[in-house]
Amino acid sequence: MNITGVVMVVGGGVAGVQAALDLTALGYKVYLVEKSAAIGGVMARLDKTFPTNDCSLCILAPKLVEAGRDPNITILTKAELIELQGRAGDFKATVRKQPRYIDEEICTGCGQCTLYCLKQINDDYNENLARTGAAHIDYAQAVPASYHIDPKACLRLNFDTCNLCSVACRAGAIRFDQKEEILQLAVGAVILAPGFGRISREVMAGYGWGRCADVLTAFEHERLMCASGPTGGEIVRPSDERHPRKIAFLQCIGSRDEKCGNNYCSSVCCMYAIKQATLAREHDPDCEITLFYMDIRTHGKGFDAARERAVGENNFRVIYARPPKVEDVFPDGGLLLTWSDESGGHHYEKFDLVVLSQGLEAPDDAEQLAQAAGIDLNPYQFAATDTYSPLATSRPGVYVIGAFQGPKDIPDSVVQAGGAAGLCAGQLASARGSATVKTVLPAEREVAGEEPRIGVFVCHCGINIGGVVKVPSVAAYAKTLPGVVYATDNLYSCSQDSQGVLVEAIRQHRLNRLVVAACTPRTHEPLFQATMREAGLNRSLFEMANIRDQCSWVHMHEPEEATEKAKDAVRMAVAKAHHHTALSEQQLPVIPGALVIGAGLAGMSAALTIADQGFAVTLVEREKQPGGRVLSLTADRHGHDPRQAVKELVARVRQHPQIKFVAQATVSAISGFVGNFTTTLTVGGEEPQSLVVNHGVMVLATGGKPHRPTGYGYGQSDRVVTQMELEARLVRAKWPPKSLKQVVMIQCVGSRGEDLAYCSRVCCGQALKNSIRLKTARPELQITIFYRDMRAYGFMEDDYRKARELGVIFLRYQPENPPRVDIGSGGKVTVNGFDPLLREEVRFNPELLVLSTGIAPEDPTELARMLKVPITADKFLLEAHVKLQPVDLPVDGTYVCGLAHAPKGMEESIAQAQAAAGRACQPLARGFITPAPIVSRIDPETCIGCGACESFCPYKAIEIYQEGKLRKARTITASCKGCGVCAARCPTLAIDMGRFTFAAIMAQIHSFGEQINE
Amino acid sequence: MSETYSPKILGFLCNWCCYTAADSAGVGRYQYPPNLRVIRIMCTGRLDPSFPLEGLATGADAIFVGGCHPGECHYQDGNYHALVSAALAHEALARLGVSRERFLIDWASAAEGPNFVKIITRFTEQTAALGPLGQSEGQDSVKLRTRLAQAAELARGRKVRLGLINASREMFKGGDFSRPAIAALIQAKCAKALAELTSQPE
Repeated sequence: MNITGVVMVVGGGVAGVQAALDLTALGYKVYLVEKSAAIGGVMARLDKTFPTNDCSLCILAPKLVEAGRDPNITILTKAELIELQGRAGDFKATVRKQPRYIDEEICTGCGQCTLYCLKQINDDYNENLARTGAAHIDYAQAVPASYHIDPKACLRLNFDTCNLCSVACRAGAIRFDQKEEILQLAVGAVILAPGFGRISREVMAGYGWGRCADVLTAFEHERLMCASGPTGGEIVRPSDERHPRKIAFLQCIGSRDEKCGNNYCSSVCCMYAIKQATLAREHDPDCEITLFYMDIRTHGKGFDAARERAVGENNFRVIYARPPKVEDVFPDGGLLLTWSDESGGHHYEKFDLVVLSQGLEAPDDAEQLAQAAGIDLNPYQFAATDTYSPLATSRPGVYVIGAFQGPKDIPDSVVQAGGAAGLCAGQLASARGSATVKTVLPAEREVAGEEPRIGVFVCHCGINIGGVVKVPSVAAYAKTLPGVVYATDNLYSCSQDSQGVLVEAIRQHRLNRLVVAACTPRTHEPLFQATMREAGLNRSLFEMANIRDQCSWVHMHEPEEATEKAKDAVRMAVAKAHHHTALSEQQLPVIPGALVIGAGLAGMSAALTIADQGFAVTLVEREKQPGGRVLSLTADRHGHDPRQAVKELVARVRQHPQIKFVAQATVSAISGFVGNFTTTLTVGGEEPQSLVVNHGVMVLATGGKPHRPTGYGYGQSDRVVTQMELEARLVRAKWPPKSLKQVVMIQCVGSRGEDLAYCSRVCCGQALKNSIRLKTARPELQITIFYRDMRAYGFMEDDYRKARELGVIFLRYQPENPPRVDIGSGGKVTVNGFDPLLREEVRFNPELLVLSTGIAPEDPTELARMLKVPITADKFLLEAHVKLQPVDLPVDGTYVCGLAHAPKGMEESIAQAQAAAGRACQPLARGFITPAPIVSRIDPETCIGCGACESFCPYKAIEIYQEGKLRKARTITASCKGCGVCAARCPTLAIDMGRFTFAAIMAQIHSFGEQINE
Repeated sequence: MSETYSPKILGFLCNWCCYTAADSAGVGRYQYPPNLRVIRIMCTGRLDPSFPLEGLATGADAIFVGGCHPGECHYQDGNYHALVSAALAHEALARLGVSRERFLIDWASAAEGPNFVKIITRFTEQTAALGPLGQSEGQDSVKLRTRLAQAAELARGRKVRLGLINASREMFKGGDFSRPAIAALIQAKCAKALAELTSQPE
């Protein structure tokens, strides 16, 4: 059968872009089909992202730029998939592409067309809060960085008049003769990532939107907060353009709402409201903020901590209520909100501004897309998927990721993107590299003999830097520094058009060093270095000054001092750049195999996704058998048995020719680096033996375990069990017995408190599932669940509703007043709690008390220490970037998935494992790595052969050799990791480090000193 | 700006822990005093023993070195080497009559943005209390900086560095990484090489 090494990705939001990038890194060509005129999706419209409140575009833009310049990604804008014929591996996709009316190859992005355009239209990117021309670009950092014309509005296209843009465009890029195109494309697989749709206007009108000017959607509010938004980042009331003093956030608008047909929970709004509230407070510290919640569902990794800190520091008022009624009754402005609290009390209050936290819906054209791609939808019009293959649609070879798979946040979308890329790569393994081209870079310009000609670019980062630091004055200051021949400021240095500006400046001013003062080299250095390399300069001639993460963000209330600090940072970076030299880069081979630690659901899924791509996997398990903790679950929420799914996985693992399973093994030592790790395992029970594995990458899937509770009578009576223990009873014969009449469940035993500081994410769902199982078996059974917030996110909300319909009673308790358990004689259980509706103490004597006890990680401390990867205070492995590298660990070539990362459900663990596997295969597929040239170099003239460097080097990367009668040291470049201990200990300063030379650091120190002498 | 004294602090942060902690403090919008200027190094093990002294000589009122927690160095033991270099710097400061509080080596892991903020805030306050270099010492700052430059030069010299090599070797052999133990090793191995720092200024 013919296998095509091409994948079509439908939708250019963060999920689609990430999938495209992951696919080209794995050796596949990509068609990225985007309905609008630019990629970026909703994330490009956000001001900040939770839980870190990172600037959204700042972390997205490098990816967009990378996708834009990847020769193996063809971006088709204004395009839609309309038909998909054939079968997995050999599809024929039909795409309809609407004309842009501006040639994107020729357009220079100058903006003259917008300036001259006579037809003003609502600016969709700014949620219609601003106006733009019919000829326009969606946003400044858009990729492709080209304008386009709205055919519905254009005067020339509709009335054959105007035509001013054609005259104004100096590049001659206007093409009114462009026609709709139908493209037939051969692809091996398809990934659907169309994102989500908006809640209908009718639903929002129910809360005053459209009728009252000062009722905004969260998306509108987001644009108001944003520096590049219609108000330049000022939050003002639309009615009178004044700063609101009292803002109310209304949750669950269009979610958890049977009336509008969306009974599911949108999963992200609770958290984004916290983010928006925090930022609103940052914009105006005097502003009073109230949040109306039905339940606070902040179940993601680190979310509860971020929320608690935000609520505490900003003094937010949190009210548990259904969304209030909104009325516009005051003659002088303001909105009247009326609500009833949980005990039935009625309240009303006046607010200046109301923000509707609108949920996520299936895309408007979900049905069309489903028909075109030939896939099934679920009742809510999202793509139908299965718990055990969460990224596969009903049609083989067609995958789904992001919000179309179910409402989800950015990290989960990015995870799914990586997972789908890994699955495509497995499916199309035989065609890897068959359709891709290699990037051809211009020859590097020789700069050795030249005087330093340094260019300095100072970034505003919207208002992230520019709102605090006086960026133009920093750029002006940079111009005065020695060696600087060019300095300027950019709104966003990382946008695609800025890369063009950088390249142009390098050529025009013959720059041979580049300094960018912006965010942090940890995230953005590679982007700027790639741009430099495109302009023919060696990557090592780059330096970055950190004026955001370590300046504007941490000195927000001291603009003068922050500006001084930024100037100092720029001066020190320039001083260092003087000493940069071009360094040659090495290519080191990669051992084409992976080590996966942990053979639970995540580890096995990861191993299979790697092995299916044709790479060898060593799968290591501490226990005698693979399977992990899932084996103690007896049903999923659809009534299927997870143990059966695990059994099938185990069988596949055992049979796979590329997987070597090693049982009863633990890791005793790890050495090496990406591409070339050596891990020593201790194998066997009685007489353990050592086993050495050489591998290129490794995946940590070390898993978690049920938390063992203390208190609540656990261990004192056999009537008190955990949810996990209940799972086992539920499949016993003749269970539940007739004697069982009343069951009480208590949520958050251990979690969200002193034992485990975090939310364990799965316990609410498990309690719902098990109560439904009990009620289905014995409808007359009385079940009461004490809970804090019922975190039935996503489609689990269906279970919540079903449990209520079946008669399960839910009682919310406050953390300071949890239900109390007493064990009497004979193990008799008494539960006392407070009923908020009755406003009185209630007492239960259940035959069974079930505790939802949460998940603790298997302690990763030893492994983390060996591998030098960080762990969080809660002992989960800390990923490289919470949003955009959710499965990468900070050490190259190492990845994390499953419960070792954070508590999560089976479906999420599998998707994450597939993502970790997909990412892990990137170095394996490339076949080589290019380590940063920061290695040590030894000057044989000065070296006295004392051997101190050799003895202190942690990587045996220095060897002593004879040169005639003399002993000399030299670096084994491939082994050197660039720590610099050798240089610091060399008695004759004969050793220096690439990019961190002695002279360069001394120059930084002396340049620091100039601060004082100014 | 007000007339209150604002100390100049130079920091050397390792890429993997402290520099990352500093970034994450920014992402979390934790605020701290704007006195620190940062030089990024891959590992505190790269810290040349002369760098802190050079920094003070060139105008800093205090020097901060930030790395990974002991035992958690991203490389293996770079921060232990840094402790040796730091002990030398402290010894030199002691001989010059400079307050030892003007030089701090401390740790914050990549996940510890708030801890980094705490360390820097406290160190800045503490340095502010000492006043400009020379004030708490009761010495003329210009002369003091000249002598610090001499000390830095000495730290680049072969004699001192051979002493450091021996100190590092003994530290790893003995396995005692406590600060007093390392200080004692420096005393033992470098005292001779530092002898000229004990002579009083003219």
